[in-house]
Amino acid sequence: MFQATPVNHRNLSRQKLFRFLFGSMTALLILPVIIVLSTLIYKGAPVISFEFLFANPTNGMTAGGIFPALLGTILLVIGALLASVPLGVAAAIYLSEYAPNNWFTRAINIAIINLAGVPSIVHALFGLGAFVIFFRFGTSILAASLTLAIMTLPIVIVATRESLQAVPMAFREACWNMGATRWQTIRRIVLPNAVTGILTGVILEVSRTAGETAPIMFTGAVFFLPFLPQGVFDQTMALSLHLYVVSTQVPEMPAAVPYGVALVLIGLVLIMNSVSIALRMYLRGKKKW
Amino acid sequence: MLKPNSVLLASALTAVAFLLSACGGGQDRQVIQNKGSDTLVNVAQAWAEAYQKIDPNTVVAVSGGGSGTGIAALINGTVDIANSSRAMKAKEVKLAKDRGHDPIRHVVGYDALAVYLHADNPLNEISIPQLAEVYGDGGSFTKWTDLGVEVPGCKNQEIVVISRQNNSGTYAYFRKVILGIDDFRLGTRDLHGSKDVAELVEKTPCAIGYSGLAYVTDHLKLACVAQQTGGDCTSPTVATASNGSYPIARPLFMYTSGEPEGYVGEYLSWIKSKQGQCIIVNKGYAPASEVSC
Repeated sequence: MFQATPVNHRNLSRQKLFRFLFGSMTALLILPVIIVLSTLIYKGAPVISFEFLFANPTNGMTAGGIFPALLGTILLVIGALLASVPLGVAAAIYLSEYAPNNWFTRAINIAIINLAGVPSIVHALFGLGAFVIFFRFGTSILAASLTLAIMTLPIVIVATRESLQAVPMAFREACWNMGATRWQTIRRIVLPNAVTGILTGVILEVSRTAGETAPIMFTGAVFFLPFLPQGVFDQTMALSLHLYVVSTQVPEMPAAVPYGVALVLIGLVLIMNSVSIALRMYLRGKKKW
Repeated sequence: MLKPNSVLLASALTAVAFLLSACGGGQDRQVIQNKGSDTLVNVAQAWAEAYQKIDPNTVVAVSGGGSGTGIAALINGTVDIANSSRAMKAKEVKLAKDRGHDPIRHVVGYDALAVYLHADNPLNEISIPQLAEVYGDGGSFTKWTDLGVEVPGCKNQEIVVISRQNNSGTYAYFRKVILGIDDFRLGTRDLHGSKDVAELVEKTPCAIGYSGLAYVTDHLKLACVAQQTGGDCTSPTVATASNGSYPIARPLFMYTSGEPEGYVGEYLSWIKSKQGQCIIVNKGYAPASEVSC
């Protein structure tokens, strides 16, 4: 029927070329992940043992385990989530469901975007000034968690707002037409449909929180602490700072230890994330649309 | 059937329970906050670790960050003991006094600042004026040939000058002894830790760097330092640092607010005791007073 003209041939081969080009770029993206993970596993796995995970560091931190740092990171992440998720979700609900579209709302939105762009070291200094000194929390888990919470607040707000706005307007209108109030609509219709998106925000926050070093360095994490924290006003060791310390500060550190610490940190983030991913998949399975 | 909001609520409650459970355990435990100098941080850690066995009820929380960080924390009243590898400036003492703290200085050891060279560098000795020409603003030595040597493997013989970040006590002390009131030259590479300096000099034939004796590795060459060009030089060792014959040796300080009392006082006297001093010797520093370990 149709005889392919030279123009068709040229277009077709170009299309193939670009498809290949873009495809290989995408494949390249996986490369760093594979290299990082395989290097960490190859070099770090030999030091991972029960003792490494669950014992105190000994002999100038070159031997023993990293349990205080591991527990510290878990506590900091939980503390940050407790502070930022309720606050962030509440703010996002207001912005998405209640706020009129006026200059004030737009100013708040710009502020949130700017908050996300603030470098973590600035958050660290803010946390030092506000929580450690002004509120007199001292350098403590509380101050560090709150600093991390402020830093990750934009992630939670943006993820929640996006997922609230992804719930079709028709759902709300149908609900209002039945005589439901705004709150009833949010509580029964909007939130249940948006919870998977909120969990995505939480996953992002966990990864960011567990990995940050600067904000906790001034506000609650220490180089070395020979005991486990007993309350929110204690300081703690943390994996991210410990990784910095063992790779740059301690002479005669066995070469495998930093890799082991990094592997544990990544493993911890993956485990914490997989819990929320599992929850998200379960909830998504129940979605009715 | 679990509703999404109750799932969230449940996970929040679990988390609260977790935090509260971490708050249990009400034994009497004193915490000493110890912060400051990166030079002292590894010794401070070793002291804190060993002190657990001496007094299990006193725990020492150690952080680094640099001498300036420790002194600022003492001024702000957030530490019990500030570690510093330099003396507090008059301005800092005044600031501390204005805030009701009276800084008391304790010498806990001595540190020799070694001049690091690459293992292949043929240079054996260097004098303080020569170091000033290499490090100082407007100094005339930019090539190894200016010092009378040719370094194998160093392209163009250009000296790669390695220094420290400016809140480091090591930086401040080196500047005071070598340059006096003058500034460092532009273009020095300012690294964030003594260990980084050692590692970079190890790998760079053209490099010259300085840091504490405790960070020296087997792959580094240490220059013998003379007070005057052509004069007798002294090698950096624990012995020459503590008897004062090595020209770039400095005391290491711990500062407390007021005379230390109670558990802080006990900790400091333990540090100054034979047991504590042997730990600092083991870490490669010179003791504050003569000990045999």
